[in-house]
Amino acid sequence: MDTKKPRRLLPVIIICAAVLLIAAIVVAVIIITGSETDIVKGTHSHTSPLPALGAKVEASQDYVKVAESDNYILYYYEPRFSIRLENKKTGAVLDSTVSDEKDDGRNNASWTAYMKSGIVLTAIIGTLNTYQVDMNSVQNEISTWYTDNGIYAKIHFKGNYDFELGVEVALSGDDLTVRIPDESIAEHKEGTYISTVGVFPFLGYTYLDEQDGYMLVPDGNGALIYLDNKEGRYTTGFSGLIYGIDDGMTNRTATSTLWEHYETVTSANTVTAPVFGMAHTEDEQAYLGIVESGDERCSVEVVPNGVMVDYNRCFARFLLRDVFVQPLNQSNSGTVPAVEQDRLHSDLAVRYRLLSGENADYSGMANAYRSYLLDTGKIQKRDTSYNTRVDMLGTERESFLMGTVPVTMTTAGQVGDILNDLRGLGVQNILTVYKGWQSGGLYDVPVSSFGADGYIGGNSAVKDLVKQQAELGNTVYLYDDALSVNAATHSTTYNVMKMVNKRTFENKTHGQVYDTFYYLMPGRSSSDLAHLTKDISGAGIGNIALAGITGTLFSYSSKGSYYSRTDTMDIYEDAVSAADGSCNVIAERPNAYLWRYSDAFLDMPLSSSDYMYLDREVPFLSMVLKGVVPTYSDYVNFEANKKENFLQMVESGVYPSFYVAAEDSSKLIYTNSRNLYSLEYTSYRDTIVEYDTALRAIAEKTSGACIISHEVTDSGLAKVTYDNGVVIYVNYSGSAQSDGDVTVDALSYTVKGGE
Amino acid sequence: MQKLKRLAAALLSAVVICVALSVTAFADTPYVTYTINGYGQIRRTQTAYLAHSTVIKFGEESLAAPSDICLADDGLIYVADSGNRRIVVGTADGELVRIIGEGTLKNPRGVFVTADGSVYVADRDAERIFIFAPDGELTGEYGKPASPLYGDEVSFLPIKIVVNDAGIMFVVCESNTNGIVEISPTDGGTFLGYFGTNYAAVDLTTIIYRSILTDEQRAKMVSNIPATPTNLTIDGKGLIYTVTRGNENDTLKRLNIAGTNMIHNTDGTYADTPTSVAAGNHDNVYVADQQGYIFEYNNEGEMIFVFGGPDDGTQRVGLSTMVSGIAVDKNDRIYVLDSDKAQIQIYQPTEFTDLLHSALYLYSKGRYTEAKEPLTAILRMNSMFDYANKAMGRCYFREENYTEALRYARLAKDYTGYSDAYWEIRNVWLKNNIITVIIALVLLFVIIKLLKTLDKKKNILAAPRAFFGKVREKRFIDNFLYAFRFMKKPADTAYGIAAEGREGWLMPSLLLLIFMVEFVLNKYTCGFLMKGVMDGRYEILSDIGAIIAVVIAVTACTYLVCTINEGEGTVKKIYTAICYSLTPYIIFTPLVYLLSHVLTNNEIFLTTMLSILTYGWIAVIAFIGIKEVNNFTFWQTVKVLLLTAFTALILALLIFIIYVLWAQVFGFIGAVVGEGVYRLGY
Repeated sequence: MDTKKPRRLLPVIIICAAVLLIAAIVVAVIIITGSETDIVKGTHSHTSPLPALGAKVEASQDYVKVAESDNYILYYYEPRFSIRLENKKTGAVLDSTVSDEKDDGRNNASWTAYMKSGIVLTAIIGTLNTYQVDMNSVQNEISTWYTDNGIYAKIHFKGNYDFELGVEVALSGDDLTVRIPDESIAEHKEGTYISTVGVFPFLGYTYLDEQDGYMLVPDGNGALIYLDNKEGRYTTGFSGLIYGIDDGMTNRTATSTLWEHYETVTSANTVTAPVFGMAHTEDEQAYLGIVESGDERCSVEVVPNGVMVDYNRCFARFLLRDVFVQPLNQSNSGTVPAVEQDRLHSDLAVRYRLLSGENADYSGMANAYRSYLLDTGKIQKRDTSYNTRVDMLGTERESFLMGTVPVTMTTAGQVGDILNDLRGLGVQNILTVYKGWQSGGLYDVPVSSFGADGYIGGNSAVKDLVKQQAELGNTVYLYDDALSVNAATHSTTYNVMKMVNKRTFENKTHGQVYDTFYYLMPGRSSSDLAHLTKDISGAGIGNIALAGITGTLFSYSSKGSYYSRTDTMDIYEDAVSAADGSCNVIAERPNAYLWRYSDAFLDMPLSSSDYMYLDREVPFLSMVLKGVVPTYSDYVNFEANKKENFLQMVESGVYPSFYVAAEDSSKLIYTNSRNLYSLEYTSYRDTIVEYDTALRAIAEKTSGACIISHEVTDSGLAKVTYDNGVVIYVNYSGSAQSDGDVTVDALSYTVKGGE
Repeated sequence: MQKLKRLAAALLSAVVICVALSVTAFADTPYVTYTINGYGQIRRTQTAYLAHSTVIKFGEESLAAPSDICLADDGLIYVADSGNRRIVVGTADGELVRIIGEGTLKNPRGVFVTADGSVYVADRDAERIFIFAPDGELTGEYGKPASPLYGDEVSFLPIKIVVNDAGIMFVVCESNTNGIVEISPTDGGTFLGYFGTNYAAVDLTTIIYRSILTDEQRAKMVSNIPATPTNLTIDGKGLIYTVTRGNENDTLKRLNIAGTNMIHNTDGTYADTPTSVAAGNHDNVYVADQQGYIFEYNNEGEMIFVFGGPDDGTQRVGLSTMVSGIAVDKNDRIYVLDSDKAQIQIYQPTEFTDLLHSALYLYSKGRYTEAKEPLTAILRMNSMFDYANKAMGRCYFREENYTEALRYARLAKDYTGYSDAYWEIRNVWLKNNIITVIIALVLLFVIIKLLKTLDKKKNILAAPRAFFGKVREKRFIDNFLYAFRFMKKPADTAYGIAAEGREGWLMPSLLLLIFMVEFVLNKYTCGFLMKGVMDGRYEILSDIGAIIAVVIAVTACTYLVCTINEGEGTVKKIYTAICYSLTPYIIFTPLVYLLSHVLTNNEIFLTTMLSILTYGWIAVIAFIGIKEVNNFTFWQTVKVLLLTAFTALILALLIFIIYVLWAQVFGFIGAVVGEGVYRLGY
């Protein structure tokens, strides 16, 4: 008996040794991978010091003049922390609070206090975030000092709140800047926090239809809400969190589905540019509001009359701290509200660029925004020469037995063939984004190294393709969704984004093959992107089309710490900036902080999200970007109204995009790309040539020029004027229309000048 | 049932949509449009209708809880403004034309305008039908029909009304389950009878329940009364369409003059909560769901599009809160009345839809060649739009271009169209080749006769006969042929397996292999009309795996059960018997396969019959085989087979339990490791 015991021990020892070995490997892996995910902060500063203070502003019971520039005078009324801007030439006035004379007396105390306060906060007490803090209903102490070109006010909200903050208001030239320095904000009372801050929420307000004009809404390409009497038709106005909703804070709720299965309602556009505007066309006075700092956690509010009160107003509302839902168990059946550990730590700054005379319209706003972006280096002038964009789908995957098998749509060789064929048909300079090039297909994400799928020909074929096409004048970009992690193809243990409530964020997609995706932690996205760009530039490719991180921003938690949208923004900016250093980067619907790194913008929206309260769509972003950065449309393939879509491209100067594959799209019906119902190159060959011929001809005339004016003529023609004298008339109506001596056929366009 | 079917379809084919992550942005409409493909799958397609404009007010007049909308021939909109007890007449631009029935109406719930401009109003609370002249003057009214046929106990609560060219009124009454009330205007309103009655669905469970429950229990069951139609409309030809909530495959009905439903659609593509129906201009029909989904069907009730949806609170144009009415104008614009938002949303067809409608129009007028042009354009925009493929096939068929008709019918999975086109092609082939075929057959016959005669006289076939004789004696060939003898004389041959050493591994496995090859070939390459799987789909490995698993499981279970029941069969013998009993399949499948390529729907029953015969045969000889191999009696065999079935069930259950347990264990280990790593690492 005794002699047998050691033998029995042997397997035990072996198992123990094996377990130890595995544990050691796991620890090693953690250490290695852990060191890579340690990027949690960016290299940017979002705060600046307090201004130098001059003399104190004497207390007064009326507006006092506090600053003056060539064209404007800034008045200030301390008790309500209100400002008034007066145009020295025209006498037009922009008020920041509702004056007693203009109070229609139909509002409750809370709204009246709101309307007459230059600053309105909401506070969180406990876990309730609905307390309104303003200059009228909350006891406060305010002291104001003169600064170089304006004032600095220190406000102390007392009562239940005990908040302190300082606001700097400065007028220089035609720019009014309003800034709340981060270091001036103090929340003295434990458990009582500032939730939102709205600065001058009524700046430039109008009552019902007292003034002709409109407000600019940064939805889609741009839209207007007229300052007419809405007769109480709307219950909400536009409220859009700049750079999109925060997936780290809000759970994605399932929208209702047809037959409990098919999602029919699409999501609205994201606000990619932190702007809003108000134009009083009668007074010829307007402003464009640009959120300069704190934009990463700020919403643009554009509210027509009839929503709560009868005043039209637009403003930026900064979100400092929010309440979120904390589940208590795995099944999420029990939840408690919880408050974020920390608040936003950026200066809160809005620049109002004042526009008057003939500039007091949306064209003026677009011009002002363009020059602001160029002057501050937030955008760089790029090569805007015309390209038709023809994207190709490489491989996808469909389920087979326990795993998946490839569905190859376009090999690298076929991409070359298609491009050569188009070249033979006269389509030169094509921009191609190659999607699904990576090993494992389109949804085998993330991609951290250059490993092309063998089914499309492998690395060498892709390299050859890019090189050969470059020689012919075509540019092939490799597509990279640097944000998503496919749970079925990659480990999700260490590097996926956890929401603020420490639950892993899941993106359920109802996909045929893969249905759950996660987000990478920003640090990991960054290091993956660095590896990938190093790899592909090493391989001599050097072209990357970025998606995912370009249009997404979230707060998250990691290792027990909380990271804000500011951190995410900084890391993404650093990552894209680094990528831009080694590669040519183009980006899919990039947020404004990435604009300066992108050679081109993809999937530019041509219309709005169709909100009921929008009165008109205007190509605002196109007017800003035309002549500075080339923009490419959504895919023409899936458009039902091809003619109108084409005319929109003519009007906005956006270049067309197609999505094609060598194989028939019916091959995709068992893949996650099953919705791509129309891809075959043969179906689009003629259309591509047609679009290319027409739009290239226009682009040659407007080459490098900017849009300086956009208007709709009395006859309903869209008239676009370029700074090189070219004028484009677009007629969307079903009959010929004319403007002066220009007549445009139904559903057509005419280009004048520039000969 | 419909829901079950949907669920099953969802589980089986996992027909799920994909919201591709940040890959493809579609047009900026707040809703997506779906269609149905030839396999019955719901697929996304181009936006069919765009939200065009919204009528919030007519002049200064707002609506309050409006419940019905009707368009006159001159384009004027008539709205039953229930909350304000009136009919509002206006234009699509929001201009007020006139107000009708103020002071007269109590709760107008349905409105209809005839070609001469008379306005019929169904007033529920007044329990009357009011008729107004075009200028708004009250010209007539009808109350509850006096006829005893109507039913004394039945109340008259009119909520929807349509009127045909002869002035006969068709009225939907609340809580009147007898059907649509048909009233003639003669003699102050003559009750003509009930029309288009719905029938209570009686399914198998209900029948079973009814047969076993006591009267008391039965009384407690949810009463099984037919549903009242929710709404109705009338088209230019005088055909009446009804929608009924919860009426499953009869949700949408197109009723001829006799009240017979002419739509038979079992796709399960009807609205769950239909609220209104409108006839289109191209033999098409629109149904609005209360939640905001708008459906378009063709004249056969096949869904062409579904779009729209409920407003998620973002106030985007084109989404609805509570739809109560739908109407369509001459330009195919759809007017959707939202009673909650008190507004009319007008949708305009896109280029894509216009093309489709013009194709429908041309097709209905018999201008097939012209219809092909818009169809080609549609297919260029969406090559997977099977509806266009189908119409294209039908056009080619009418043009007598059967080859193309066949091609498109196959693309569209249009079995009828395919069968018809194939019939024509076969007909032509037969016409051209019948002589050749007859000559060949005669020649063959003559040659055989000649050979036989010669053989009889000169014995010329002696050498081949001797050769075959020799071959037949070879053990392998002999065994092979023995297997086929099993078909004819299962009892004798099974005895051979049991007692004469005819069992083996090689020969049955070879037969199994042949079986598998035939099975796979037949499944994937048989004629289109017989094909049960989708084109281009191959799951050969899993097919083979399934066959092998079944054979092994059946053999094992049978053996286990037989052993404890004192059967004499060994594994080898049982395996041999089971494999040998597949021989009818091996023999007949090639025939079925060939037939499936040359038969049309008219004769396809031949192959079905042949298949039934084959499987029946297999069952019989497998039974006899097991009986003989084990030396059982008939009843012993029955018992063993039942036990085997039970064992197989248990085995499946066992495998499932083990699988689940292991999955749990792995999941647990994974969670522990993950948690540990997470804690340790950070």
